[in-house]
Amino acid sequence: MYSILLIEDSLENTILVERVLQAHGYQMLHASTGERGIQLAIEEGPDMVLIDIGLPDVDGHTVVTLLRQVEELQGVPMVAITAWPADIAQEMCERYNYDGVIIKPISVRNFPKQIERYLSAVS
Amino acid sequence: MELIPACEFDMVDLADAYNETRIDYIIPMPMTVERLRNYIHVYDVDLACSCAAVRDGNILGIGMLGIRDDRGWVTRLGVLPSGRRQGVGRSIMEFLLDAAADKALPEVWLEVIEGNNPAHKLFLSLDFSRTRDLIVARRPPKFRALTPGEIVERPRVRHVRTLGREATLALLEKRGDSPNWLNQTESLHNVDSLSALVVETDDGGRGWVTYQTSLLQMTRIIVDVPEGDRAAVTAALLQTLHEFYPTQDAIAENIPADDPMWLGYQEAGYFEAFRRVEMVKTMAEPENPEG
Repeated sequence: MYSILLIEDSLENTILVERVLQAHGYQMLHASTGERGIQLAIEEGPDMVLIDIGLPDVDGHTVVTLLRQVEELQGVPMVAITAWPADIAQEMCERYNYDGVIIKPISVRNFPKQIERYLSAVS
Repeated sequence: MELIPACEFDMVDLADAYNETRIDYIIPMPMTVERLRNYIHVYDVDLACSCAAVRDGNILGIGMLGIRDDRGWVTRLGVLPSGRRQGVGRSIMEFLLDAAADKALPEVWLEVIEGNNPAHKLFLSLDFSRTRDLIVARRPPKFRALTPGEIVERPRVRHVRTLGREATLALLEKRGDSPNWLNQTESLHNVDSLSALVVETDDGGRGWVTYQTSLLQMTRIIVDVPEGDRAAVTAALLQTLHEFYPTQDAIAENIPADDPMWLGYQEAGYFEAFRRVEMVKTMAEPENPEG
């Protein structure tokens, strides 16, 4: 079973993402701040990290910057999940070396397939 | 709807309300309670002159006013989705402008994110006028290497000095720029850990950069180049800074878009994340009670 760490401050979005992915057999971990997300990623070593860009303490870019420097997390897909305008989000994610970006609101139907694609790319 | 001074709310309520206003914002920037408290301190926000719009016990929107000497600054203005299109933003703005008038402030400043057209229109209708564009720039620790055609020749650094907080604040007293509210020296006086790097280049250039570092980020990045080519010295200065701090994610806020130094930032790996439009309103002169 794959484990996915979701770093997201919105309770509503968290509930939605967790419900959709748990129904497809993923084990979910959750952090509502960037710092807690970094701590969980390092401690738990998830198979994938989903990161909201707009977090209340440090933003998603800073979180990815640090996680990319952790040797144990090399190869773990790190994907932004954001409501930013798609073109800006895409450019920012390329600059910050995310593996991809998923634009909110998520499509309940397509979201598990998007996740599967990122995971199968590294397995 | 009632407008209640923000000092009558606790910080948790203000942070929650602020985050709710930003939930569908063009660039959402939520804040923890601690960050909001620090923001209020650093930017001299006066909570007695700030307000929340409330209906049936629910906050519909908030707005804050910073005050420094004879200047005012509107910030953190936002309306929750449930309060939109009901004149809540305008009412909050009128409260803040009345508070500025009561304090006899001759001018009030603000910034609006480029592309936030409803807010921009509101400010224009309240007689704010555009002064300049400001760039919010980022620099990841590992950025795309420049191709040979993009590389601009920059002078070699021949001397580097680091300064602690007090020396940095003394340096800021001599600055020659016209900083935006966020980067004004008053803001930096309110920041606990602040440092600066001063470089001299082999072509006679001289510049300095202030910064605040944490494990993850480098912020409060403000550059001035008293001598030499502004772009070239900025590039040399920032390259040197990031050689000292290679792992932090750097954020430089409100760089004037028309300043040649912006080229130097880009040369050092910074890119534009988004823009703000700076605006100012000249307040009507208070009536002379003696006629």
